[in-house]
Amino acid sequence: MSDALLVPGPVRTLAAKDVRDALRDRFILIVTAFLGLAATVALVTGAIALRGDVATYEAAKATLLAIGKSADAIKAPEFYPLRLLRGAIEQIEIIGAAIAILIGYRSAASERGRQTLALIFTRPMRGWQFVAGKALAGLGLLAGGLGLVLGGLALVLHLMSGIGLTADDLLRIAVVWAVAVVYTACFFLLGFILTLHMKQPSHALLVAFAVWLVLVLIAPQIGDTLDPDNQVAGGVFKQLSIAKPDQVQIMKGFANYETLRDGIEQASVTKHFERLSFAVLGIKATYTGMPLGPILTQMLANLVWILLTALGLGALALALPLNPDRLAIA
Amino acid sequence: MPEPILSLRRLCQVFDGVAVINDLTMDIAKGEVFGFLGHNGAGKTTTIQMLTTLARPAAGTALVAGHDICTDPLAVRRAIGYVPENVRLYDSLTATENLLFFARLSGVPAPQRRVREVLDLLDCTYLAGRRLGGFSKGMRQRVGLAQAILHNPSVLFLDEPTSGLDPMGIRMLRDLILRLNAEFGMTIFMNTHLISEIAKTCTSIAVLSHGKLVFHDRIAAVTARYGDDTALEELYLSLTPVGRLQEVA
Repeated sequence: MSDALLVPGPVRTLAAKDVRDALRDRFILIVTAFLGLAATVALVTGAIALRGDVATYEAAKATLLAIGKSADAIKAPEFYPLRLLRGAIEQIEIIGAAIAILIGYRSAASERGRQTLALIFTRPMRGWQFVAGKALAGLGLLAGGLGLVLGGLALVLHLMSGIGLTADDLLRIAVVWAVAVVYTACFFLLGFILTLHMKQPSHALLVAFAVWLVLVLIAPQIGDTLDPDNQVAGGVFKQLSIAKPDQVQIMKGFANYETLRDGIEQASVTKHFERLSFAVLGIKATYTGMPLGPILTQMLANLVWILLTALGLGALALALPLNPDRLAIA
Repeated sequence: MPEPILSLRRLCQVFDGVAVINDLTMDIAKGEVFGFLGHNGAGKTTTIQMLTTLARPAAGTALVAGHDICTDPLAVRRAIGYVPENVRLYDSLTATENLLFFARLSGVPAPQRRVREVLDLLDCTYLAGRRLGGFSKGMRQRVGLAQAILHNPSVLFLDEPTSGLDPMGIRMLRDLILRLNAEFGMTIFMNTHLISEIAKTCTSIAVLSHGKLVFHDRIAAVTARYGDDTALEELYLSLTPVGRLQEVA
């Protein structure tokens, strides 16, 4: 066996071809633009809601001052610019994952039917190099697309807030970008593996979206719906003014229920991404204002889960042998 | 017989418990243009898939340019070129970009120069900067052939190369195959249905029926024994299931 075959030449060649091919595909450009638009709309909607809160506060304050009373009793709305990214993160969770499936599907389906897989596999390269090249291209496309979307949002946020984003804010957005790339890579690999190995690529797409439906929409929703704290604005315990020790005591009676509810949530890689990104951006009130380091330490389990999912799917893609009969079925 | 470049030894393939290739044993000499005939489903493409290392045989083995397809597939891949039936390549890339991709995958040194040489060799320099999306079947087949010879292989496998081509396209392809064989000494292994092409292009033929080799000889010997192209067709039909049915009737 020649050592030259182990160098990553074919990996880079395959990845460069895939990226070039995808960038010339109008469909990929349109769906990426759609994600950008959806995320921007979510951001602007959040900003409008905040502006509404500010206007309401200003009006109430003016009324109080006009009748000679102090405005100290009403609390000014808090402005954390990164919190406005909540809607955009949810769009990445849902639409970003769907786009990643489509890119993974395209990556394999575009080789089948054209019989180019047969041409690639009669070249002196190994199976892992093919999978690695495809995965590298997928990661590149996702990183580029998400970079454009989050970069654009950061710019809009900077212009909208008028106070400018700090280096810490930008670092937090960069962390979320990196995690979003790994998160969407899970769905890319899902679409890619199924499309490469199932008899009909179109059936593979259906199965991938069925999994997406469960992981992205159903499991997190079940977990949220079963959480009594989510059923009342501000949380059940807070509304009922139940002290923390009592809360703990009450929840002991629901230990099995909580294990089941949390288990459903934990099964979803989407929930881990949401928890981590909401914490990093300070969207979840518990983490607002907390330094990045301690947040990442607390969220390590979520990060590990996302990484393990991506690595597990990557290992599966490498391990599954290709069926030559499937190479030419479009 | 001159030195064989392809040696198939008791090659077998099984799909879903059914033997589709059964004890296939034959030698093909270096420099031959070999025509592999057979009815639909006879196992011609399956044989090519095994010889090009796309599929592992259920039993038996073969040597391609001296390399075992089971134990040294990478060396086999370095020695072969392959053009599948109805190859489409990448529509969004130009002919040059498509060829550069395959040249780099094959580890061709100075790939840019080699791509220009091959395009020139196949008289399709005018296609270089054009995206494949607008290409005719004949143009695609030329680029398909170009990608297969970039690394100057010893053996070129062509699966139904004339499928879907018009008479002019068939003639151009035949001329190219003969040139590659004559000028570069490439051994050609060609699956086909067209007996007229076999007679005009091949130096030896074999007939496969239901996964079994039922005939293998040099074309000169065949024509000496049976006469002209029409006799070749009669010979083929007598060896295939349709021909046998007629005999029974």
